[in-house]
Amino acid sequence: MKILKSALLQAIVILAAALVVGFTFNALSRNGINPLKTPAKVPVAADSTQAGAEGIKIATLDEARQAVESGVPVIDARRKADYDDGHIPKAMLLDYYDMGMYKDQVLARLSSDQTIMVYCSELSCDDSELLAKELYSLGFTKLLVFKGGFAEWSAAGLPVERSAR
Amino acid sequence: MKIMWSQGAHPPGARPGGSHWIYNPFVLLVLRLVLAAVFIYAAVHKIGRPLAFADEIHAYGVVDYGPPLYVMAIVLPWLELLCGLSLVTGVFIRGSALVLLGLNAMFLAVIAKKTAGFMHIGTPFMKIYFDCGCGFGAAFAWKKLLEDALYLVIAAVLLAAPLHRFAIQFRRRSS
Repeated sequence: MKILKSALLQAIVILAAALVVGFTFNALSRNGINPLKTPAKVPVAADSTQAGAEGIKIATLDEARQAVESGVPVIDARRKADYDDGHIPKAMLLDYYDMGMYKDQVLARLSSDQTIMVYCSELSCDDSELLAKELYSLGFTKLLVFKGGFAEWSAAGLPVERSAR
Repeated sequence: MKIMWSQGAHPPGARPGGSHWIYNPFVLLVLRLVLAAVFIYAAVHKIGRPLAFADEIHAYGVVDYGPPLYVMAIVLPWLELLCGLSLVTGVFIRGSALVLLGLNAMFLAVIAKKTAGFMHIGTPFMKIYFDCGCGFGAAFAWKKLLEDALYLVIAAVLLAAPLHRFAIQFRRRSS
C-alpha cells in the first residue's frame, strides 16, 4: 500500500512537470499552438467548384492540371525525400510534419487572396487536407486540395520536376 | 544526491528484496531501459508537432477537437519523455511506472477500439494495418496490441518490484 502511495505522489510530480515543460516548450516553439483557440471552422466542399471561391475545395486531376497551367501556386505537403524524387512542376515543398522548417519561406511567396493548391502522395493520405486546414487558419482561404496527389499526377503522364542533387 | 549501487530506492515499509527472478536487480534494470528506450523514441517523434499529433489523436474518434485534445497533444509527448528519463536515471521509477501503466492501458483501449472498427467493416484481424499515431509509423494492429500489452506488463513489474537498484536517489542528510 505504501508503495502505491509513494508511486501516486511521484506520478503526480511527473505529470505536473510534463505540464510545465510541455506548455513552456509549446510557448517557445515555432510550431506551438494555442489550446484554447477553437480552430477556424473550415468549410470543406465534397464536390469541387471552380477555383477562386472561399473555402477548401477538392480538385480532380483535370482541375489540378488546369490550376497548374493557369499558374496557381502549388504546395507539396510530403517529405523532402519524396519531393526531391519528383513533384508537380514549380510546386513548393511544405512538409506538413515539419512546418516550422518551411513555413516562413513558403508563406512569404504567397498572398492570402490567391487560390493555392495543395497535394500529397495519393488518395489515402490526409496531409494535403490537414495542411489546407492549417493554411486556412493562417488566413489563406482559397484552397484546392488535389486528392489524387502525386500518384495520380505522375500516372497520368503529366510533367514531373525533379530536384537537382 | 548519490548513486545507490547496493541499497535500493525502496520506500519505507517495502519488503527489502524480492524472491521472484523477475525482481532480480539486473532484470529490472534491463526492463527499465527497454521501456525507457521505447518511450523516449516515441516522444521525440511527437514533440514539436502538436497540431499533427492532435490530428492523430483525433483520428481515434474518442476526443473531439477542443482544448482537452490540444492539451493532450502538447503534454503527452513530454510525459512520455519524462517517464523515459526517469526510468533511465532511476529517479521516481515507481511514479513513472504508474504513469506508463495508465498510458499503456489507455493506448491499448483506443487501439483495440480502432481495430474492432476495422473488423466490423470486414477486414481480417491479421491484416488490419494503420498508423496508431504512436510515433513509430504504420504497423499491423495485432503487433501493436501485443507490444502495448508487453509494455503494460513491464510497467506493472517495475511498479510492483520491492527493490530497484542502479538508481539515483535523493536523500536528506541525517545529522
